[in-house]
Amino acid sequence: MSSLERSFYSKTSMYAFFVVLILSISVWFSTGQFKHMDMALLGYLLSSMIFAIGLTIRMCAWLLRPATHKVIHRSFKNLRTRERKNRNLKSVFITAMENIFLQKFIFKRGLYRGIQHWLISWGCIGSFAITFGLTFGWMRFDLIDPETYQIVVFNVPTMIMPAHGLLAEIIYNGLNITASLVLIGVCMAIYRRIKDNDVKVTQRFEFDILPLYILLAVTVTGLFLTVSYVLLEGFMHHYLTLIHQVTVVILLIYFPFGKLFHLPIRPLTTAVPMNYQEKVQIDTRPCHSCGAMYSNDDQISDVKGILEIQAFDLQLEDGTFLADYCPACRRRIRVMKQLNLGGPQGNPFQPIETRNGIQMSGFGKKRSEDFYEGSNESEQTTVHGGDQ
Amino acid sequence: MSDFVAKKGVKNLQHKDEKLITTHCCYCGMQCGMHIRVHKRTGEVRGVEPRYDWPVTMGKMCPKGVTAYQTIEHEDRIKKPLIKKNGKFVEASWEEALDLIEKNYKGLQSKYGKDALSVFGGVSMTNEKCYLVGKYARVALGTRYIDYNGRFCMSSAAGGFIRTFGVDRGSTLPWTELEHSDCFFMAGSNTAECHPTSIQWFWKAKDKGAKMIVVDPRETPTARVADVHLDLKPGTDSALANGMMHILVKEGYVDEAYVQERCNNYEQLKEQVAHFTPEYTSEKTGISIEKILKAAHIFGRSKRSVVMFARGVEQQSKGVDNVALYSSMSLLKGHIGKFASGVATFTGQGNGQGGREHGQKSDLLPGYRKLTDPEAVKYISSVWGIDPEEMPKPGVSAYEMFDEIQKGNIRAMHVICSNPAVSAPNTEYIWDGFKKLDFLVVSDFFLSETAEYADVVLPATSWAEDEGTTTNIEGRVIRIRKVREPYGDSKTDWQIMSEIAKRMGKEKHFDYKNVSEIFEEFRLATKGGKADYYGVTYDKIDEQDGVFWPCPSEDHPGTPTMFKERFATEDGKANLAIVDWREPGEIPTEDYPHILTTGRVVYHYLSGNQTRRVNFLMEQCPLPYVEMHPELASQYNFQDGDFCKLTTRRSSMTVEVKLTKAIREDTVFIPYHWGKELSVNQLTNPCLDPISRMPEFKVCAVKLQKIAEYEMPSPI
Amino acid sequence: MNKIMYLEFERCIGCRSCQAACRECGDHDAKERNYVEYVDFMESRQTYPMLCMQCKDPACARVCPANAIQITEEGVVLSAMEEKCIGCRNCTFGCPFGIPKFDFEENKMYKCDMCYDRSKHDIAPMCASVCPSDAIRFIDYDEMMQLRRKRTQMNLIEGKKPQEGNKWEYVPEFFGVYSD
Repeated sequence: MSSLERSFYSKTSMYAFFVVLILSISVWFSTGQFKHMDMALLGYLLSSMIFAIGLTIRMCAWLLRPATHKVIHRSFKNLRTRERKNRNLKSVFITAMENIFLQKFIFKRGLYRGIQHWLISWGCIGSFAITFGLTFGWMRFDLIDPETYQIVVFNVPTMIMPAHGLLAEIIYNGLNITASLVLIGVCMAIYRRIKDNDVKVTQRFEFDILPLYILLAVTVTGLFLTVSYVLLEGFMHHYLTLIHQVTVVILLIYFPFGKLFHLPIRPLTTAVPMNYQEKVQIDTRPCHSCGAMYSNDDQISDVKGILEIQAFDLQLEDGTFLADYCPACRRRIRVMKQLNLGGPQGNPFQPIETRNGIQMSGFGKKRSEDFYEGSNESEQTTVHGGDQ
Repeated sequence: MSDFVAKKGVKNLQHKDEKLITTHCCYCGMQCGMHIRVHKRTGEVRGVEPRYDWPVTMGKMCPKGVTAYQTIEHEDRIKKPLIKKNGKFVEASWEEALDLIEKNYKGLQSKYGKDALSVFGGVSMTNEKCYLVGKYARVALGTRYIDYNGRFCMSSAAGGFIRTFGVDRGSTLPWTELEHSDCFFMAGSNTAECHPTSIQWFWKAKDKGAKMIVVDPRETPTARVADVHLDLKPGTDSALANGMMHILVKEGYVDEAYVQERCNNYEQLKEQVAHFTPEYTSEKTGISIEKILKAAHIFGRSKRSVVMFARGVEQQSKGVDNVALYSSMSLLKGHIGKFASGVATFTGQGNGQGGREHGQKSDLLPGYRKLTDPEAVKYISSVWGIDPEEMPKPGVSAYEMFDEIQKGNIRAMHVICSNPAVSAPNTEYIWDGFKKLDFLVVSDFFLSETAEYADVVLPATSWAEDEGTTTNIEGRVIRIRKVREPYGDSKTDWQIMSEIAKRMGKEKHFDYKNVSEIFEEFRLATKGGKADYYGVTYDKIDEQDGVFWPCPSEDHPGTPTMFKERFATEDGKANLAIVDWREPGEIPTEDYPHILTTGRVVYHYLSGNQTRRVNFLMEQCPLPYVEMHPELASQYNFQDGDFCKLTTRRSSMTVEVKLTKAIREDTVFIPYHWGKELSVNQLTNPCLDPISRMPEFKVCAVKLQKIAEYEMPSPI
Repeated sequence: MNKIMYLEFERCIGCRSCQAACRECGDHDAKERNYVEYVDFMESRQTYPMLCMQCKDPACARVCPANAIQITEEGVVLSAMEEKCIGCRNCTFGCPFGIPKFDFEENKMYKCDMCYDRSKHDIAPMCASVCPSDAIRFIDYDEMMQLRRKRTQMNLIEGKKPQEGNKWEYVPEFFGVYSD
């Protein structure tokens, strides 16, 4: 393997090469040695290839991060462990259902946001599925006779359907349906981004709003294509096709590098129930100091590992790491250190003295004794904050 | 003039769809400056923005202040008048409610005489309203029985100041000067929790080397950083003050020239304090001799000092004496009327200062005029347009009104802006009084514990729905702006009083169209009085960042520092206090072996009727508790979180135990912001100060008992 | 922005205004992101406020598998980006100071962002604005350095000389965003 890797410029370029290669082969195979290529989709095909390369590069860059690598590494290890099969299956299933399909957590952030996100995400995923299916030629419709279509998947003829049946209508309009979902969702999102003062705090135009406009451009031009075709007798159809193609190309090229990249990395979320917290809000590892449950062993060892790789020295004098303490104890450790109350002070059998005199109170400016004119020697004049 | 006031160069965050309205907090006497964020289109209250350029508080706010805006559009607000039918409140129209009030008021007055009605006022509202409450009782209802919740708050300070200086202004100096003082002597004030935004001045002074002497049975956050913490036994302030003066005299710290020129009774004072040796003082107060000496020397040697006190010394049966004694300490040093020196009390309620000056007290008329003074009666009668003969005579103090109820003299009561069912001492007696009344009207914007006893509840507006002026802790008159239109069907208190006056046939005396008209009449009424507001105008307040009274004419700049040349007594000299030791109303006995004291927590305000409805505040402090020293706790085997039943001669209550060493071993502490079974005032002692009629909230004898299982009642 | 958040624990009076104010900040969704805790209530009423240090090289961002914790050009370390955060809580364990909070319901981490909508316009964050005791301050870098020097000098007058290794015990806490 390593020798193979060395024949490429880098690991990433190797992956990119193989991704392109596999895709090309799949196109070659699905279109019956390019016989059934739809030349109108050539532009889309090229940009999809660029999309695939971009995605591969971004994925590689992402996976190279020590934190991501550690989590992915543990995930694969756990997936291979036979004893964890039940937990793995359950985790994958629950995450796929609740987190990815239903997106429950976004609905908890607000019904409006939930609906908006669900529409955009499933609209996009649906659109991508159809687009890629068609551009790579994985799926095509062959006319058997004037009344009947056959769906061909990976060059394998499958089901037959009447050309004007309900199913056919749904399939022809698949993109229109998904585009409509995206359109509604994107409009909701843009409205929220403009209206809500709270989201404006950290939002950046190029990151948060630009993708919405790109999606809007794609869906509007795409839907207008249908409108033109169905209602306006092909008004400006040619130009619209071109404009739509341009917007889609922009989207595909942008996708791996902008906000929308969060879509392909979302499955990583499975790692949480699979590797770390099996049941929500149930921790299994006690804090080194106060004994409260705050995490679990695997996660803490991962965190320590990630920090170590990146040369964060968070080990204390007694050999424990800061990650061994619960967040509340870590805050306390910091303050106690700051107030110089870390170690035992004075007589251990006396009550703890929170004001030890080493750490001056913030106000403890001493006043020179000549301020008190006529102070006589015998009197106790040096007085300092509550030391008694 | 714009509703948003900000100085040049001050940056505030302002959203495009919102406007900022400059006002002050509704809670304590600090009256922290704030801007309220209001949505431009809907008029909805959105939040709060610090007012960085308000000179007293510099944008600082306590958690109550930050969340104050949340009460304005709170879901618990009363939207319509409520009439009690068959023990249940039913929503009604204003017509119905006013009809019922008119019928009952007139019926009771014709049957039992004019004094059958009574008014119980409050001072958490603007000067205009406070002024009108006095006029309402005396002109519209024609009753002598009017008093207000300041009796449970500021009346001892008022009594002490009048006795000593001849006039009662809470602080003789502006608080912006505090920063330059050298020594603070703070007695009975948990400043950090009750007036948090004042802390910045003390800390600034401390940065410059000022000393702090804190007198408190608990080690409060201020006591923790104090140079000397005098941890006295509750109720022994008079001994401590006398003891301090003993050392001041003995060590020659007295400014003889000042005292000779400006004070009376110095010789008697020397005689009186002679036997308050440090040993004797220590024996009475429970403070070690060294600490007393240390404190006296620091205080004695400081070139500038401020003596400050609060309810801890005032809410005692010796409240007036304590105030006079602590003020005398400052007089002996010659520190009153000078830069960064003086005497100050921490005003508890928002308008505790302004509200007590303008005729809500049973014996006072606007401008701090005495009802017993025929000249004052004549002047006010002319302003009000009544015959001086019609002016009712002085009534009785707040707690004593409930005696009158028991005797059957008072048959009806109108409670305005107050919640005596929680805040009065010996609350079970108060509750019984409310039940005995023939007719009770309550104006409030939340259904308070008092309102639950009412026959008619009138929905009043909150502080943000009306404009006006208040007088803050320093005696600075400041401006409250209207933030939004009244919520639901609620009306402002002045509208409510005017409506009732109309029903009582007195409309010509209550013909107000807006707040400014009341303010104009109020200025006139105070003209020539001790608290003279005649020269205060709304514009002047904005221009000068508030105006300090007395301000007798429009070209007068106001009086930030009092008593620069002379005191307000008849002979212009201050009266030093000659007071001997006297025990508090209750001392620990074998049956009731410990001392119970009460106070506030930073998260709640007074009876908690507002703050107990704010989520953040309730999350921090949902229920009362008893603070106890572990040494005392071990005598009863209490652990943190155990339930403790506390019993006094009046009643008992059960709360959770919180252990801390930051309290005296013989004293337990319970905060007082809760009602019904959770009200610590079930236990407190209604032993009244002979002059101010202030009940002794801060000291009573108590016994403790461990309770195994207990379920705390709901806090709202 | 050349301002620092400056903490002095001893000044804290435990009123928790900063927490109430934190809820008021834009995008904080009425949940506070800072802490006020007792050192030991049994012993004294000393409390301390605690906020994010806005580290230059934040451990929380380094342990995030989703690369969700971003730093603004001013140097403010923001909460995990909601779209990226996978809810693993690594940041809460990686942070040496125990700062990030986690919302299990909404499956996201949130932390102090120095009231980014305020501080990016050089307006003090809400907590520093309202803190009645000045335990939390939003001050100039120079003022901070001056305060630190004063503090060290005070200790020297006291006859306590910081040694290598413990000198940080002699200066107050400071952190924040600044460009040198």
